[in-house]
Amino acid sequence: MFHDIWKTFLGFLQGFGAMSLFFLRLLQYTPAVLVTRFRLVFYQVYNAGALSIVIIMVCGLFVGGVLGLQAYSNLERFNAEDTTGIFAGFALIKEIGPVITALLFAGRAGTALASEIGLMKATDQLSAMEMMAVDPLRYVAVPRFLGGVISVPLLTAIFTTIGLLGSHLVAVELLGVDVGAYWQQLQNALDMEDVMEGIYKSITFGIIASLLAVWEGYNSVPTAEGVGRATTRTVVITAIAVLIFDFMITAWIL
Amino acid sequence: MTLSDTLIELRDVDFSRGDRPIFRDLNLTIRSGEVTAIMGPSGTGKTTLLQLITRQLSPDSGQVFVAGDDIARYGISELYRMRQRMGMLFQNGALLTDMSVFENVAFPLREHTKLGERLIRNVVLLKLQAVGLRGAAGLMPSELSGGMARRVALARAIVMDPALLIYDEPFVGLDPISMGVIAKLIRQLNDALGITSIVVSHDVKEIGEVADYSYVIADGKVAASGRPAQLRNEPSELVRQFMLGLADGPVAFHYDAPDIEEQFIGSKPD
Amino acid sequence: MQQTRTIELGTGLFALLGIGALFFLTTQTTGKNDFSVADTYQVTARFDNVGSLKPRAPVSMSGVTIGRVTDISFDSNALEAVVTFVIDSEYDQIPDDSDASILTAGLLGSQYIGLTAGGSPLYLEDGSEILFTQSAILLENIIGKFLISGPSSDEDGEDD
Repeated sequence: MFHDIWKTFLGFLQGFGAMSLFFLRLLQYTPAVLVTRFRLVFYQVYNAGALSIVIIMVCGLFVGGVLGLQAYSNLERFNAEDTTGIFAGFALIKEIGPVITALLFAGRAGTALASEIGLMKATDQLSAMEMMAVDPLRYVAVPRFLGGVISVPLLTAIFTTIGLLGSHLVAVELLGVDVGAYWQQLQNALDMEDVMEGIYKSITFGIIASLLAVWEGYNSVPTAEGVGRATTRTVVITAIAVLIFDFMITAWIL
Repeated sequence: MTLSDTLIELRDVDFSRGDRPIFRDLNLTIRSGEVTAIMGPSGTGKTTLLQLITRQLSPDSGQVFVAGDDIARYGISELYRMRQRMGMLFQNGALLTDMSVFENVAFPLREHTKLGERLIRNVVLLKLQAVGLRGAAGLMPSELSGGMARRVALARAIVMDPALLIYDEPFVGLDPISMGVIAKLIRQLNDALGITSIVVSHDVKEIGEVADYSYVIADGKVAASGRPAQLRNEPSELVRQFMLGLADGPVAFHYDAPDIEEQFIGSKPD
Repeated sequence: MQQTRTIELGTGLFALLGIGALFFLTTQTTGKNDFSVADTYQVTARFDNVGSLKPRAPVSMSGVTIGRVTDISFDSNALEAVVTFVIDSEYDQIPDDSDASILTAGLLGSQYIGLTAGGSPLYLEDGSEILFTQSAILLENIIGKFLISGPSSDEDGEDD
């Protein structure tokens, strides 16, 4: 029993170490890839980012809307419905925007990355590249990683902006909060540091989500079942890691 | 690579996957200019052998020499230079799925040479012509049949004019016509380009027609070797079973199981 | 080539939207624009208790924002809080005997510094210190006093 726990712990430690080394190698190749293979990175920004715009926008609109609704119905009891903007703005910019975007990214783009790389591995495409003296880490892993790292902060900004629009629609257009009060209160309450907190978070989450997706794909068991398991693990582990890091960053900043 | 008689030599190679030993004291030489077949029952590590030769894997002990050099000593750039002189055909072709047939064949050229677009186009179409698929240049890998995908992969393998061509199970899952085409290509490319070929397969009949020399691998060792005609007269029972395709022999038909009487009737009366 | 075009258009649209959204968030949602005058002068004031006053809190006079708190520190010799704030150079005729108090916007709102004009002929300038200050009124202190001695007109924390 105790022995089992110890073995599990050692296994975890080994996996974590291997992933850290993988991360360092990705970083090591990043400058060269950005210079010589920018087209591949560009294509991955399209794949991970541009193709996620619609889902990000739809989710942002509704999440913002529901925040506006909740904030209004609670604040109304204190006759403080003018501060709906503060509530929705704080929640969206500092927490919900970065976190939900990272989770949506893991579900939409992370799984696609993991299964794509896993499938390339299962069909010997990665081995074939090695045999053609092309390092698959540079050709496959780094561009996908960078595509995700670039996309997530931009997606987060889009999500948050659309979310603010959604809460504006609900609070101002639907429930009749004064438009001036809504935005003035929001602007007075929010500082640049609050916005930067959201941006720092989105950058961190982008690195986490992209790294995990590429890592899981790269290390999947090269069978149909293995690839399936890799995509599931990508979503689960990304979600856990993002929420843990969210707590740590918030605790560190406050 | 120099044109010495022996191109590749494996000396006392040991290799295990986890606790399972794959090779023990494996010795094997491949002569340049010939088509060498490596045969053996499934699961004897034929693909592993190729990975050792290309250093996708490294042996636990023993040495692998390519053109006289111990490849374990190669740094990453020397290793990549060596691989540029090798072409490998994977079991299912391993074409890159996100680019067309033309771009797949052009891929090594674009990565390793600074040839102009016109020259790349000429070289690629020439290689596709050699495998009879010049007309398929614009197709995507998903639009190809299994045999066609393998021929495209062959064109890609020879596009850098390698000195050594390695085929991993080139006949698996192909119809008789495609098998014949691939067998013919293996022989033709070897002779026309003056290169060395290694073919890993368990298709005794097909490979017998093209190979100059064959190795049969079983139980982590070379069980037999020789010209195809010699092998057919090999006295070893295991080699006979394999070459003739007999159901039972040294490689047992039954997987290890408890005593049959015991399992069906229950414990034996004392 | 049609495919390349789609990819380039899609990525372009994505980058444009993303950067536009970042721009919106950094410029339109923060209060930074309220008071971002480059030309200011610095004034300090000492308080017994700053309550929940925070850096970037507004400094106002007659209800108009004329400056911002830049720093709050604690002087361990005098055992007092030292609040540093900047005032827009446009307002350079504030008497140097003006009174600074820490006020609360509404019952539960955030705290800010209110200046009340004095009568001195000399004006505050860069580096001056406001001598007359009134600390933050802590709700819990008032309630505490009220419970012990009943309603009282006693002001909490008068300084100097």
